[in-house]
Amino acid sequence: MTLEFFLCLVTLFFLAGIGTPVAYSILLAAFVYLAVGGQGIGIAGKVLMDGLYQSFILLAVPLFIVAANIMNAGTISDRLLNFCIALVGRFKGGLGHVNVVASLIFSGMSGSAVADAAGIGKIIIEMMVKSGHYTRGYAAAITAASATIGPIIPPSIPMVLYALVSNASIGYLFLGGIIPGLMMGAVLMTMNVYISHRRGFGTEEPVPIRELPALTLRAFPALLMPAILLYGIYGGVTTPTEAAAVAAFYALILAAFFYRALSIGALYDILVESARSSAAVGLVIGGALILNYVVASENIPASMASLLVNLNVSPLAFLIGVNILLLLLGCVLDATTIILVIIPLFLPSCEKLGIDFVHFGVVAVVNCMIGLITPPYGILLFVINAVTRIPLGEIIREIWPFLSVLIVALLALILIPDIVLFLPRMFGYAG
Amino acid sequence: MTRLLRWFSQSAEFVAAILMAAMFFTFILQITIRYTARLEWLAEAVPLLDPSRYGWTLEFCLVMWVWIVFLGNSFIVRERDHVTFDILYSVASPGLRKWFAIISGVAIAFGLLMSLEPTWQKFFVLRLKKTATLSNLFGDWVRMRDIYSVYAIFLIVVPLRYAWRVWRVYRHGADADLHHYDDLGGNSGSVEHGSGR
Repeated sequence: MTLEFFLCLVTLFFLAGIGTPVAYSILLAAFVYLAVGGQGIGIAGKVLMDGLYQSFILLAVPLFIVAANIMNAGTISDRLLNFCIALVGRFKGGLGHVNVVASLIFSGMSGSAVADAAGIGKIIIEMMVKSGHYTRGYAAAITAASATIGPIIPPSIPMVLYALVSNASIGYLFLGGIIPGLMMGAVLMTMNVYISHRRGFGTEEPVPIRELPALTLRAFPALLMPAILLYGIYGGVTTPTEAAAVAAFYALILAAFFYRALSIGALYDILVESARSSAAVGLVIGGALILNYVVASENIPASMASLLVNLNVSPLAFLIGVNILLLLLGCVLDATTIILVIIPLFLPSCEKLGIDFVHFGVVAVVNCMIGLITPPYGILLFVINAVTRIPLGEIIREIWPFLSVLIVALLALILIPDIVLFLPRMFGYAG
Repeated sequence: MTRLLRWFSQSAEFVAAILMAAMFFTFILQITIRYTARLEWLAEAVPLLDPSRYGWTLEFCLVMWVWIVFLGNSFIVRERDHVTFDILYSVASPGLRKWFAIISGVAIAFGLLMSLEPTWQKFFVLRLKKTATLSNLFGDWVRMRDIYSVYAIFLIVVPLRYAWRVWRVYRHGADADLHHYDDLGGNSGSVEHGSGR
């Protein structure tokens, strides 16, 4: 390790550790690296601007943020929820299932776990608590767990970020997420059934079947959104980035004209709020671009790769090792940081070991999403705690069963790459 | 003074919303034009829809994106909107926390200001470089440095903001909770950190 890189890391960890925004910590650490190495700190700005200005794919990030905010502001989530209640609310653990199914459908639109939890998640927790069948900790826990599915099923902002650092095809990544997302939904619902039976949760009054068509019709335009998005991308109609714009536009039309639930003032607030989130994320992305430049000039990923190859590490052992590391990091770091900063370190090793980038990407994103609900530092836990006032301790006590089945699902994804790669291959992926 | 500040931050929000909307609708325009381009008679009948007029859309969106990021971080992103690792910060005692906030504020202000001159030097050569497609839209004067200049604004404004923050923290102490997740409760319509985390 060179002296400048050592000082760079010291600066980074120190500043980030005392609560300096991650993006600024990276920027300052890069200055230290460049200054000590005698390269001139102006390079940082150049690398950052060039990186942001040349990555078309990143444009999807602000657009998906706009789409998610529009979905949450209109009555779109209410309609979806009523549809889900009519569909699966009649079974044992009904509202728990509603929760998971709503996340599955809603995730086909928002691409953001936090948006899911704060939007539709909040409404559903209130319903679960009001029904009197569930403890509030349970309601919050299953909501947090099912919100992790959001970014696995396309569209997905974390996958866009992974595509940026790995150059993997965003289209195939999106496809690769579909089956794992459904699988995560299935294991959560199974756990929900098991717990509901064991703890004897009551069953909700079923919605009469004859009301189902009307409710479906009311929700139908919103249900169409994932289909439009996927058709746009895989039918070759739009690029994935443009699909994000189409999604946002469709949500806008639906909310404003079809459901008449969006005023000009609300739209203005959405634009401001989206600009704010996009700017904050954009700066982290920019920081990551600089850090990746530093790490690459230190030749770290490549030397790590050759080290692993020399040690004869098997691809499976490598994958499991990386995933354990990511799970541990997920307890303390945020998913954006992990994907943009930590993941690139492992990519050359993956290449040398013959691990597929789409497989690795989906597994890594699933892993990072699980990180959102692992105590002590799970952002979804905090968000739900904040929007519902349910004490963190109660949520954490109930989260363990869901966390463990999600980890089992993750293990299955690691061991059986075909779960991820089946759909992409069907659509012509060569990997 | 407070009224002036409020007026300023509202104007900044307005500009951000305009940039966001411009980016969004340009994207929609780009997709629309791609499909109307297949209908040759349409371009002849309606000259405004001639696809050759719209080569600039993608680069324009990139400009909007870069400007949203840096103007946004200069003027509308609040401390709590940032991605931070706040575990140590939130368990530290109020006295220690105050010093955490002061040190990071001083570091940011100092570091970014220091980099202003060398960065502008790096951008110097860009004063000649033309953009790929934007001359059609803005006219021939536009150069890459004009587009990148937003980063220089960022390097000036952010240090000023952090200097101000350091002063306030020094006088009144630091916030206990960096993220204010509580705010989410009031406005579930607009989600902070909508980054997929």
